[in-house]
Amino acid sequence: MSSQDHLKETDTEARFEFKKEEKSAFRSEKGLTEETIRVISEDKDEPEWMLERRLRALEQFKAMPMPTDWPEAPDLSEVDIDQIVPYIRPDIDVRGGVDDWTDLPEEIKDTFDKLGIPEAEKNALSGVGAQYESEIVYQNMQERWEEKGVVFCDMDKAVQEHEELVKEYFMTKAVPPSDNKFAALHGAIWSGGSFVYVPEDTTVEMPIQAYFRMNSEGMGQFEHTLIIAEEGSEVHYIEGCSAPKYSAFNLHSGGVEVFVGEDAHVQYSTVQNWSKNTYNLNTKRAIAEKGGRMEWISGSMGSKATMLYPSTILKGRGASDNHITIAFAGEGQDIDTGAKVYHNAPETKSTIESKSISKDGGRTNYRGLVHIADGASDSSTAVECDALMFDNESTSDTMPYMEINESKVDVAHEATVGKIGDEDIFYLQSRGLDDDDAKQMIVSGFIEPITEELPIEYAVELNRLVELEMEGSLG
Amino acid sequence: MSTKAIESLSEDTVRRIAEERDEPEWLLETRLDALEALETAELPDVIQTPGRRWTDLEALDFEALVDPLNQSDATERTAGDDEVVVAPFTEAFDEHGDTLEEHFGSVLDPEHNYLTALSVALFTTGTFVYVPEGVDVEDVKVRAEMNSRSLFSQTLVVAEESSSVTILESIASGEAGDVEGDRYFSNLVEVVGGENADVQFGSLQNLDDDTYTYSLKRGVTDTYATIDWIESNFGSKLTRSDVETELNGDGSESQIVGTFFGSEDQHFDVNARVWHQAEHTTADLVTRGVLDDVARSVYEGVQDVGEDAWSTSSYQRENTLMLSDDAEADASPKLIIHNHDTEASHSATVGQVDAEDLFYLESRSIDSKTARNMLVEGFFVPVLEEIAVDEFREDVEDLVVERLQ
Repeated sequence: MSSQDHLKETDTEARFEFKKEEKSAFRSEKGLTEETIRVISEDKDEPEWMLERRLRALEQFKAMPMPTDWPEAPDLSEVDIDQIVPYIRPDIDVRGGVDDWTDLPEEIKDTFDKLGIPEAEKNALSGVGAQYESEIVYQNMQERWEEKGVVFCDMDKAVQEHEELVKEYFMTKAVPPSDNKFAALHGAIWSGGSFVYVPEDTTVEMPIQAYFRMNSEGMGQFEHTLIIAEEGSEVHYIEGCSAPKYSAFNLHSGGVEVFVGEDAHVQYSTVQNWSKNTYNLNTKRAIAEKGGRMEWISGSMGSKATMLYPSTILKGRGASDNHITIAFAGEGQDIDTGAKVYHNAPETKSTIESKSISKDGGRTNYRGLVHIADGASDSSTAVECDALMFDNESTSDTMPYMEINESKVDVAHEATVGKIGDEDIFYLQSRGLDDDDAKQMIVSGFIEPITEELPIEYAVELNRLVELEMEGSLG
Repeated sequence: MSTKAIESLSEDTVRRIAEERDEPEWLLETRLDALEALETAELPDVIQTPGRRWTDLEALDFEALVDPLNQSDATERTAGDDEVVVAPFTEAFDEHGDTLEEHFGSVLDPEHNYLTALSVALFTTGTFVYVPEGVDVEDVKVRAEMNSRSLFSQTLVVAEESSSVTILESIASGEAGDVEGDRYFSNLVEVVGGENADVQFGSLQNLDDDTYTYSLKRGVTDTYATIDWIESNFGSKLTRSDVETELNGDGSESQIVGTFFGSEDQHFDVNARVWHQAEHTTADLVTRGVLDDVARSVYEGVQDVGEDAWSTSSYQRENTLMLSDDAEADASPKLIIHNHDTEASHSATVGQVDAEDLFYLESRSIDSKTARNMLVEGFFVPVLEEIAVDEFREDVEDLVVERLQ
């Protein structure tokens, strides 16, 4: 347990809530115009096809409506793209990320030190990427993986160095810009993010992590993550995000595409702790081939409003999906999250486990879709949603959608909502715990099925975030 | 939405309907307001997911379906007791005009949507049920046959304090004369559950397969009142059915039991909704349906718990059994919870007849069709058990057996 001491001792709040003076090498104008996109693309020295894709996405963005006609959709009226600075290149010498923390400017290095990233890299990770504003500033992977042909690099660099792969997979198959308004926005002004390629039959034993940090007020972060796991390979990718709080809104609209090859296994874990002025509107999608296995583990703690529904298309026979999601909404937060699974082949399997906690006027919603196509016989899906509520100012919604076009299936959905049990609290108090500690312990127990799926460092982190959220109100 | 203007509808049409029925002025006004609302009203909400609309109401050709001045029905009403009023509106205006005026439209706003407004503007049949304070009746029956291109029916149930009533309604297709092709049946039901009143409302729809059915039933409970619904849908080409209870009184309860059986290309859009708006309220939503051939079902269940609904219990179960590979079942059970002092759960399943069960019966030398039919009948048992009225339960059982032939 001693390896976690460094995590225990840190003051978690201080770890996220610090601001650095903005020092940028390049900063785009506010708003979104063709000109802005040309400038970004030029600053990145991109090939012509990428610029064309960006411009096409921009047209789609303009043509698409905001997702406001959804039942009980979060309020996005404040999100005005014209107020957003979509691209800030931090002041660094090496594009595509240095491989030594000490080569970074002091204030950026200090940021990630405070976030504990270099420490985690030493202890538990195969590779680390760190994004500051719009660009990856640090990227490194242990040599032994490089020798095996594993690629882990900055997405912008991948466009240059792995052009054919990127051209084939980038927003063409999994997340086309036409998917939704924010996917289109992302397609137009994406910047940074990671590219991961795992060759056939290669198992990357320790997780790879990318950490995304927004520092400037009023900026938008639009990183793109593309993971290609070839046949029989295995990889665990972890994503962490945070930003200090500002009065103006920030926008995070990432895009994640995962290609799970035959019998490959990809786990994608996110612990999101955006500041409470951030709108977090992501599109994440995986396509799983025959026998492939996709796992999404998401902890949504931060942001003002989140709309995130990681989806998996089970394309090949026997492919499987596992979603584990936890949402915690405190004062002023609207966490609208869930899962989407398309069963498009026989003998496919999915399980979705969702836990949500709402308090102090926060709102959580599980919004999910399971679609079983005609012909996807002998498929099964099980969805389980549990929600815990603290007070009658908060809201807890559950909105699952099931579309079943096949008879030889096993479909089950279950959901419960309840409050913290008075008896449970009484029991713990009778054992000498005070009210706050008792509630905290119950909440930790409630989310344990999820935290135990995470590597220990992240489980500790998540628990700590939950504790922090709890402290705010119960004191 | 581009609301469908119906050319043949005018103020004159509505006035003629009201005049023929010798209606009081307030009702004519209500009808005219509803007619006017058609210009802006929207069709009922339908669930949409990326690229899919679960039920396409926009495709209905109301111009062809609605024939307001030739509505015809044969309706048999029995009260089973002198103390209770069970009558068409036209026979109730004289004696119960005030009660009618007070409650008509109080539970269900005529301008709720395009189809309710259309129905209120044009209805020519329906029933008024009035149960005075403390009266207990079990045998109210309304058996209706639809004999025209379109039929609009409006029912109002007023159960006074501490009364108790069981109402069974059935609707089927009768002699349609020379009407050929598609038909439209619209059925609005309002139930006012007074303090400590107990209302059971069972409805059995078995219209022929040329008919499109829209049915919206809503009840409101006062303190300690109970409103239980049984909604059975067997007929129609397309059915949109909404059964809803607003639990407005402390300690009030509602149960919504639903069954459907779809074969050939039938489409059922079945919805059960409950709003908990007072303390200590309880709701139980139970729906079971079977789909054969290329039939399709859409289910939405909503349990909405308001901010002031302390100590709520709310449960929902939905199960669909698929007998054919080409059938489709869509379901969306929703929880909207604004008060933490709530115990709420829902579950939904879709599956087929259990292969092991089938094998077991076959190993007992029961042929496979009989075995399957036994299992389907068995599937309905949990909902049939919720039906307290023997006669109604038997009717549903008979229809299930008939479908399985």
